Amino acid sequence: MRILIVEDEPDLLASLAQALREEGYAVDTADNGDDGLFNAEGTDYDAIVLDVMLPGMDGWEILKRLRKTKKTPVLMLTARDQTRDRVKGLDTGADDYVVKPFDLEEVFARLRAIIRRSANKTTNVIEIGDVKIDTAARNVFFKDKAVEITAREYALVEFLALHRGEVVSRTQLYEHLFDENESSLSNLLDVHVSNVRKKLGAEFIATRRGHGYCIE
Amino acid sequence: MKIFKSIKWRLQIWYGLILIIVLAGFGITAYQLDRNRQFRQVDQELHRRIGVLANALHRPPQRGLNGNRPPPGQFQRGQNFDGPPPESLPPEQNFPGENFPDRNGRRFPEFTLPTQDIHFFEAIDPHHYYYRIVNRDGDQIAATTNQPDNRLHNSDNFFQPVNQVDDTVGKGGLPVKLVSYETYREAASQLPSEEIVTVGCSVAPELKDLRRTALSLLLVGGTVLIVGLAGGWWFVGRALRPVSEISATAVKISAGDLSQRINVAEAESELGQLAAVLNSTFARLETAFAQQKQFASDAAHELRTPVSVILTQTQAALNRERDAASYKQTVEACQRAAQRMRKLIESLLALARFDAGQEILKRQQFDFSKTVSDCAGLVSPLADERAVKISVEAEPIEIIGDSERLAQVVTNLLTNAIQYNKPEGEVRVKLESQNGLAVLTVADTGQGITAENLPQVFGRFFRADTSRTGAGNSGLGLAIAKAIVEAHGGTIEVTSEENAGTTFTVRLPQG
Repeated sequence: MRILIVEDEPDLLASLAQALREEGYAVDTADNGDDGLFNAEGTDYDAIVLDVMLPGMDGWEILKRLRKTKKTPVLMLTARDQTRDRVKGLDTGADDYVVKPFDLEEVFARLRAIIRRSANKTTNVIEIGDVKIDTAARNVFFKDKAVEITAREYALVEFLALHRGEVVSRTQLYEHLFDENESSLSNLLDVHVSNVRKKLGAEFIATRRGHGYCIE
Repeated sequence: MKIFKSIKWRLQIWYGLILIIVLAGFGITAYQLDRNRQFRQVDQELHRRIGVLANALHRPPQRGLNGNRPPPGQFQRGQNFDGPPPESLPPEQNFPGENFPDRNGRRFPEFTLPTQDIHFFEAIDPHHYYYRIVNRDGDQIAATTNQPDNRLHNSDNFFQPVNQVDDTVGKGGLPVKLVSYETYREAASQLPSEEIVTVGCSVAPELKDLRRTALSLLLVGGTVLIVGLAGGWWFVGRALRPVSEISATAVKISAGDLSQRINVAEAESELGQLAAVLNSTFARLETAFAQQKQFASDAAHELRTPVSVILTQTQAALNRERDAASYKQTVEACQRAAQRMRKLIESLLALARFDAGQEILKRQQFDFSKTVSDCAGLVSPLADERAVKISVEAEPIEIIGDSERLAQVVTNLLTNAIQYNKPEGEVRVKLESQNGLAVLTVADTGQGITAENLPQVFGRFFRADTSRTGAGNSGLGLAIAKAIVEAHGGTIEVTSEENAGTTFTVRLPQG
């Protein structure tokens, strides 16, 4: 899962990015509106965390322009909790909002929810054969036993599970699992796939030669 | 009774009482006038008749009244007590009947009346007038037959010496007394021979007429009263309707909806003026409330970001074990957030104190030019950082004020001039004396402020840029500067040209 955070307060941006990376997300950041829109339009993020008050273009404007080309789920960070601000945000195309000051847990939960909704899922639990994925607790069970899994491996499983039945290209996986600062060597992805197969069964992730990976 | 305490009821009651008094006064007066007029006619006729009769009896009769001859020399024909001596007058002129035509212009025949011939009068006017003569013992000497029976039966009381004089009558100036008796009215006169002659008539037709008049007056009066009360009720209601509207609106406003206004239909009336005054008060209240609400909301908003920093920093730090450097970073971020909050709180408190008029200025005389130069020196590192050149041109001017607070104003203006300047820009600071005022101008060469934003520059939490440009900028600086300058009795103004620069002008009274 790759996420963009657009926030101008450096301390807030740093801690949000750190916390989300530790949650297993690939995180890009922007500290002003113009960069934020540029990133948001250029990359297929799984979600965007967008502050309303920004230098340059403000959050509303970014959202308005972004909605012309992309349906990326957007979580607004607003310092105003007046109804009219919330209504404005939702009407402009925001998927959800959190009011500052917020708890990190709430941001995580709302991010999970908008990502899940964008993948047309209604619950936190995805079951595929013997494998059960709890997207809230970020746990994976194989034959009802918890499986030790790294954050990156989890992200791979979750992304493929959310796009179940679709063939996901390596490029897409790179876009969604790694942020712009990571040097992504191509074999790194293969390592993660092979580790997951060891833990959840070889047939769990099918390889479509020349296309990518898929969970049936 | 609560209802009678309402203005409407009280007005109605007072109005009703006054209407009743006026109507009653009018009715009684009208009735009295009519009664007097009618009775005066009767009295005049009685008076005339008793005059005729008295004069007739007065003459020395061939046969005295009741057979008694009057004392010689007193009842001579043509005798006139207060008139000229008889010799000087032609005797014919002394006939009373000649001079007293009755209502129909008829004249009485001249006669000397024998007592029994009193019936002669009856023949003249058989239905209305009756005549009676009693002697001093109260015995009836003569009477016309049309005298009402009850007068006869009460004949014992007939003789009451006429000592109460309502008028005089006849040539002799005889005393006349007018009395009412049941439906009769009588005029009695006492002759010098002490016989009492009485002329009476029934006033039943007049009384009947008066009753009719009274009834008409009552009917008309009652109708006027009812119509008047109903009209008054309607009118009072109409006049008081704006009051109800005002109080209804006031109720809505006290219920919290400050956008309500009283509908001012008649702006010229007293109530219209009251409504207009109330409306302007409501408008000011609404503005003040809105400002207060906006201020509180803005203050909360400003606090949200640093609180968010602290919350996310600490929560992220506590999520797992970290090394010392990481914790240090977190603590430093929290410190920055706390400092930002402290600065904001100080600014808010300063503004609140200025608003409440509680800010105490440490007034003393000092050279303002020195403050200006000091402040310019203080901000020069920031200017260097932005490659902005500051030029100061200050003549020494002594002013009385709080040097610390005024330095805060100058620093704020300089910081803004540097921050909103273009790189390699210029800040020109000038202090001069003009018309007894110390005038400080701070001009920058930045991008300027749009005409739309210019009036809000001194507003609270206003930022030309829609976002904060750093922890140091709370959006309160110019609001505080304005409060400080105004507390010193000075003014602060701003002019701006887009893409050319902004100039702030502070005018302070010279010491």
